Amino acid sequence: MTSRRLSRFLFASPWVLSFVIFWAFPLLYSLWMGFTDYRLLSRSGPEWVGFDNYVALFSDSDFLNSLKNTFIFVIGTIPVTTVIALALALLVNREFKGRGIFRSAYFLPWVTSMVVVALIFTNLFQRGGYIALLAQMVGLDVPTHGFLYDSSTALYSIMAMDVWMAVGYYMLIFLAGLKAIPDELYEAAEISGASSLRQFFTITLPLLRPVALFILVINSIKSFQVFVEIFVMTKGKFDTSTVVYFIYETGLQTQFKFGYASAAAYVLFVIIGLFSLLQFTVIRRRQPLW
Amino acid sequence: MVRSRSIVGSIVHYVVLVAILAVMVGPLVWMARVALLDKTATLSPDSLLSTAVTLQNFIDLFTQSGMARYMFNSLFVAVAVTVGNIIFCVMVGWVLARHRSWFTRLLFVSVVIVLMIPVHIVIIPLYLICLKGGIYDTYWALILPFLINPIGIFLARQYIETIPPSMEEAARVDGASEARILFTIVMPMAKPAIAVLGVLAFITNWNSFLFPFILTSSESMRTLPVALAMLQGHQAIDWQHLMAGSTLAVLPVLALFFIMQRQIVSGVTAGGIKQ
Amino acid sequence: MKRVLILAIVVLLAGATVSAETTLEWWQFWTDPAVKPVIDSIVTEFESAHPDINVNVTDLTWSNGHEKIVIGFASGRGPDVVELGSDWIAQFAASGQIADLTDDLGADTAGFQGWDMATYEGAIYARPWILGTRVVFLNRDHLTLAGFDTTWLPVSFAQFYDAIHRIDSAGRSQGIYGWGSNTAEKHRLYKKFLPFFWSYGAQIFTDDREYCVLSSLMAVEALKQYKKLHDLYGYVDSQRGIEDAFLNGNVGVILSGDWLLKRIELEDRDINLASTLFPGPQYPGRSFKGGEFLAISEMSDHREEALTFIEFVTSPENQLRFCKANRSANPSSLTAQQDAYFQDNIHLQTFIKQIQFAKHPPVDPDWVYIEDEIEQAVEDALFGDGLPATALLKAQQQISEIMEQ
Repeated sequence: MTSRRLSRFLFASPWVLSFVIFWAFPLLYSLWMGFTDYRLLSRSGPEWVGFDNYVALFSDSDFLNSLKNTFIFVIGTIPVTTVIALALALLVNREFKGRGIFRSAYFLPWVTSMVVVALIFTNLFQRGGYIALLAQMVGLDVPTHGFLYDSSTALYSIMAMDVWMAVGYYMLIFLAGLKAIPDELYEAAEISGASSLRQFFTITLPLLRPVALFILVINSIKSFQVFVEIFVMTKGKFDTSTVVYFIYETGLQTQFKFGYASAAAYVLFVIIGLFSLLQFTVIRRRQPLW
Repeated sequence: MVRSRSIVGSIVHYVVLVAILAVMVGPLVWMARVALLDKTATLSPDSLLSTAVTLQNFIDLFTQSGMARYMFNSLFVAVAVTVGNIIFCVMVGWVLARHRSWFTRLLFVSVVIVLMIPVHIVIIPLYLICLKGGIYDTYWALILPFLINPIGIFLARQYIETIPPSMEEAARVDGASEARILFTIVMPMAKPAIAVLGVLAFITNWNSFLFPFILTSSESMRTLPVALAMLQGHQAIDWQHLMAGSTLAVLPVLALFFIMQRQIVSGVTAGGIKQ
Repeated sequence: MKRVLILAIVVLLAGATVSAETTLEWWQFWTDPAVKPVIDSIVTEFESAHPDINVNVTDLTWSNGHEKIVIGFASGRGPDVVELGSDWIAQFAASGQIADLTDDLGADTAGFQGWDMATYEGAIYARPWILGTRVVFLNRDHLTLAGFDTTWLPVSFAQFYDAIHRIDSAGRSQGIYGWGSNTAEKHRLYKKFLPFFWSYGAQIFTDDREYCVLSSLMAVEALKQYKKLHDLYGYVDSQRGIEDAFLNGNVGVILSGDWLLKRIELEDRDINLASTLFPGPQYPGRSFKGGEFLAISEMSDHREEALTFIEFVTSPENQLRFCKANRSANPSSLTAQQDAYFQDNIHLQTFIKQIQFAKHPPVDPDWVYIEDEIEQAVEDALFGDGLPATALLKAQQQISEIMEQ
């Protein structure tokens, strides 16, 4: 029996080690760094400065701007992604020939590397590129130097790309949710003569609530951390810098201000935490939201 | 909810489906088209209709840049991490599935916590840990932190819970060691879960950019996505070569996607791939 | 215990054999297949001339070389000799990571250009190697099309703007733009703006370095004119994109470095090229200059050997070999500049002349931050909704704050 107990600890140890070294310790380490002046380039080691970094962050226009862009990104993409994903899910939920093909094709962007997607869209968003051509065809104004070289369109272009990439994934999750709704509910509604629109609002939507919550939470955690596409497409130029880009730039690029960057990371950490909490409480409430 | 619909209705349905299909797959088709275009050709939307095909861009990548090395790095790291994930996640998942004690409860809480933690918070500390631990810019930095991951543990635990423990108990009665039970009984039975978490681990790490980018600095340590992102910032690269490199990054994933679609979908809907 | 003993003996023995030979760690950035062989053969020749010194070359890349150097110094596993870009010298000098070479190089300054960029707070920290500057390139065919004489070149801002305007109006219907304007690319945009800024007489700091005067009237005028070129005649793209467009005949006038000559030669481009010094209100104006320098780590135990090596690499003959391979136009050695290779090429001559009328950014450890603010101001004015005056004023305030810290 003791050897069984021992082996249990032994088998769990990879996770314990990984948790301590790569998660728990870093979490505390960066919390501490956030309260210090710590730069790689200075010869003195980290120096305790209390809340100085946090105070400085909130008067740093670069940081505030990156915070603003991050919020625009999150608030702009999440509803659009969620609604389109739900629409796609409803579209492919019916029985029809070739359903599997369409479902996989819609999901394909998600399994592609973000770097590759960002490179492709950098090309598509160029002046004289495909998207400019399509925009012209429907009579939209096209920025003269391309979508990514213009502060009024760059961030929104990247957001559009992210929606394109993510809808297939959230569609799959909605599909799983739809499958879990018992057919009898619809049959009963059919008998009582409810229109399909009414069925959608009284059966489908309310029962998808937990799935929607899941989607909102994971999508916002992910979106708050947007970085790779910014790095590849604009390097934070044209008013596209986000908080994680700011962390990269101040912490790891040329400046190596670890303390300052860690403080910025913690601000985002708290925001993500509060945002998730908010979503939980709002969606958990029983009143209909839609 | 099967319902009869008119022919017109289903035609409209298909038209909408195909239009969306074009939007979703179009950019990838464009990538492949540009990759196969001669490097002297001027890019324009009309290029899509061109029928000229050359593999020269791919050949250039292998002969004139470190493409072979980048691909090897990506493959090596992704395979190592996948193998690690399969062994360790099943190991821990098994413990979590079979025992209820303060210890396993604590473990489970830690797994859930890590699932929720935004990874951006560890960027700076992980960088410093690797730097000070002397593994910065080595394969270790790209492998060690990712050898075991909470999603994999979660998937393994969930699956193993559905298997009755009778076989394991029988083996125990026969005097088999715990390690033997794990490798000869649990692992083979957990194959479906292993396929799911393995393919997820592979794709996630093959595609990964952030950590390989932050934890390495030598050109020879770059993985494919890092190399592609760096090439783009470089002066002397054209779209044809960049898209050829991108195609190389997409092809293995595409192949896996067609072979193991069911596993990918089930893993992903359980909260899988963290991009 | 036994093992430790054996280990100690092995280490001692190893130390004893190495002590006869010194190994220098050299970190450098040249990996281009055109120049790498020259670097390698310079090293081999040095080693055979100094049998007691080995040189171990580590290649860095521009995308993260700076990071590697910082980490190398911070972790104590850095190089003995390192190639530094001119804007990094102050940073490493101020943090005490590269050695003060004033006493070693001070007597030797006459034959070389570029010392100003390697001097921080009165002390010399590095030896100039290969310098670089930007000159004006024009497409002669476009000038002719716009009605200019076959030998005409602009010698003042008025003529320069007029040329761009006329090329643009004559050519826009055929897709020819007057001016190649940089998009907001980090480390590239400000290098294009500063020549205008300096040529109008503006300065970043007062001469005593006490105050930032980024938003002077001259500076605002410079940014206004730069914006006007951008808005009215600009083909806006990355540096690479602008150069492509210029070489394809879609842009009439660009500001670029010697690498453009290299591209034209290596890619066998057919272009009717003209080059001239950057103009100003009068002739000539002030262009941007920078360069590659060789510095020695403060922690190096082989300072003498490192100095010998640096001298060898930057000798006039070796600079000449390097420049010929890389098509670099600005060796720091004045002797090398006298070579027929430079004297016979009209475009290389433009570069050699231009560097005498070029400025470099202030040698300041905080330059990376200052640069960022200037670039942000230009970006705001060009791509955002900032007015030149307010954008510069905002940057000036930010820079003043950086200076106070």
